[in-house]
Amino acid sequence: MKIRKTTLIIGLLLLAAAVALSAYTLGAQGSLEELLFRMDTQGAAETDAKMKKARDRVLEALAEGDSAKAFRSLDRYLEGFGDRLDLSGSSGAELFVYKNASSLTALGVLLLISGLALTLASFSRFSKYRATLAYLVLIAALFCGVYVLENLLGSDTMLLTTLKKGAIYALIAVSMNLLNGFTGLFSLGQAGFMLVGAYTYAIFTIPAESRAQVYQYYDGGLIGFSLPVIPALLLAGLAAAFFAFLIGLPVLRLKSDYLAIATLGFAEIIRAVFQYDGLGPLTNGSNLLRRFPTFSSALFPFTVAGVCILLISLLINSTYGRSFKAIRDDEVAAEAMGINLFRHKQMSFVISSFFAGVGGALLAMYQTTVQASAFKASMTYEILLIVVIGGMGSVTGSVLTSFLFIAASEWWLRFLDNEQVIGGVTLPFMRSGFRMVVFSVVIMVMVLFYRRGIMGDKEFDLKALFAPRVRKGGKDRG
Amino acid sequence: MGEFFRLNLPYLLGGISVGGQYALIAIGYTMVYGILRLINFAHGDIFTVAGFVMVYLSATMPLTVSLPLTVLITVVLGYLVERAAYRPLRDAPRMSIMISAIGVSYLLQNLMWYVTGGLAKQYPTIPFISGSVTIFSATTKMVTVITPFLTLALVVLLVRLIGGTKIGMAMRAVSKDFETARLMGIKIDRVISVTFVIGSFLAAVGSILYFTNYTAVTPTVGAMPGLKAFVAAVFGGIGSIPGAVIGAFIIGIAENIIKAVGLTTFSDAFTFALLIIVLVFRPTGLFGEAVNDKV
Repeated sequence: MKIRKTTLIIGLLLLAAAVALSAYTLGAQGSLEELLFRMDTQGAAETDAKMKKARDRVLEALAEGDSAKAFRSLDRYLEGFGDRLDLSGSSGAELFVYKNASSLTALGVLLLISGLALTLASFSRFSKYRATLAYLVLIAALFCGVYVLENLLGSDTMLLTTLKKGAIYALIAVSMNLLNGFTGLFSLGQAGFMLVGAYTYAIFTIPAESRAQVYQYYDGGLIGFSLPVIPALLLAGLAAAFFAFLIGLPVLRLKSDYLAIATLGFAEIIRAVFQYDGLGPLTNGSNLLRRFPTFSSALFPFTVAGVCILLISLLINSTYGRSFKAIRDDEVAAEAMGINLFRHKQMSFVISSFFAGVGGALLAMYQTTVQASAFKASMTYEILLIVVIGGMGSVTGSVLTSFLFIAASEWWLRFLDNEQVIGGVTLPFMRSGFRMVVFSVVIMVMVLFYRRGIMGDKEFDLKALFAPRVRKGGKDRG
Repeated sequence: MGEFFRLNLPYLLGGISVGGQYALIAIGYTMVYGILRLINFAHGDIFTVAGFVMVYLSATMPLTVSLPLTVLITVVLGYLVERAAYRPLRDAPRMSIMISAIGVSYLLQNLMWYVTGGLAKQYPTIPFISGSVTIFSATTKMVTVITPFLTLALVVLLVRLIGGTKIGMAMRAVSKDFETARLMGIKIDRVISVTFVIGSFLAAVGSILYFTNYTAVTPTVGAMPGLKAFVAAVFGGIGSIPGAVIGAFIIGIAENIIKAVGLTTFSDAFTFALLIIVLVFRPTGLFGEAVNDKV
């Protein structure tokens, strides 16, 4: 058995670092109460009543076991009286460990996983799992990175908001790519299926005690129970898939252009029906649905979207996925090769809608309220443009572009909506709405001149890193 | 009987009128589809732009100037859209052009939102056609009566143009077989430009009539009439002008009957349900020709 020495050494070093970090973190985490007294080397709190009160508040929260409250009062204490405390040396380091305990734990986990992965990869017996191990490290790095950012910056900063919405859009874009990019069905019904998913989730998770308020015009609504979050997410997907099954029966027999219009029309019908007053006890008519459980941490959408995207990727790489691609490339030839066109189209349509439904439910959770009128055709267009810019037939392209798209439209181009003064001159054209104009011009340029998108139909693939290298121009030994 | 007429005639008249307006938009869709096999998603937005151009022009100019100028600007816009967004993709897969059309629609909507600030604008009153008229004891706007006649006159003109002129013959040739027409020396870029010019002209006229009736113009107001006009074009058999006109009248009237019955929420849904039914049972529409796949 061969062993790659450098890889092994780096792996073992990372493991050692993980052990050292956890040992240090655990060692530094003495008692915070004791640290509070130790920091105060001059005994300032004993003379200053205000300072003592602030410190007592921290101690009180600690005694109650309310760590969030303890952190908040600790911050206030340090802000107000930090200049009189001794924050150098070991007490400063301990304080840092306290305040960043969760980030340090995440870092430790990341070091542990990558150390293990590298150590394993150094043995030749495991060499064929190298790419898988690399993916594992990448995913761990991603999750730990998001977790650390969230702890450092707070979960309602612009960056984290972008990440949350980006993850949700990534799932929806990949689900649309499965249909448009991999199966070649030009469908424009995504907003409709998202609406079904969002409403199903909201309807079944509003807590029983809030129903009277939410459904105030409809006597508390029709449904008296509520489901936990994960079953409700599944149900949201299933409801969207069921609608897709029904609508697919007539529509999937149509040619591509007609399919686009029929699915677009279907989305419009769904939107009208969900706002219909007669369905009020179920859908709350044209009023908002609210008070359903939501998420605050970005890890939730990352996990759900990640699992779903993984499932879609597995499907694409299966025999079914190859049939989808055959249908996309040449329908007549695919049929001649014995692929049941309708069955496979239906399968792709139903599965894509399932994930669009889950994505819609996540979007409802992100927005904390949901209203049918928001799920317009322009929402489908946006997702289609993400898919196109990312590359039709590239999962990683769709994911990457979703984050870029959301970041650009919600964050980076925000400044265009406000008046800017450059060199003492106020630019008159910078006002509300200018951002979207610039944004859509950029999209048009992409659509016209980079027709294949960022990734084309290629994938970002770590396997290429580990493939045996092919020598070019070597002598033929024949 | 008289009572029945008095109650239901306004709906019927309204249906015929809105049907005429849909017909004018639907012709733009059906001609472009006939030649390029492209669903021009931006057509509904060009219709809306025509509405806004009229709002802004009439604020400073007399009607005699602003009306023709509105039509002219819309025509130029239609030409420019084709030139900038569709011509570079002439040899690209059809899906790319369709996506480009969606991109143009997105751009035009955002542009209108930016210019208007997202607020609804009041369409100006055009003296003669905004006036009231009473037919069989039912009072309605003059535009309701004028629309079907104007539509029919324009359609007759268009049919004669396509049937009896050189450019019309070129159009028919291009829609029959794009590649062969090109080989025969027909300048297809010119033919396509003319198609977009005619489509935009009719959309501008349709917009003037439509907004005289429904006076609030917002950036997304054209989406629905646009989609319905497309459905009308499919219903009548895409590529066929008389088919589009008849389809538009049927949809306009049916929609107003549904409103009269009190199911306003479902009037939009009906249009699409009709579309799906037509596509399933008669995919070529009322007057369309069947096209078989060549292997």
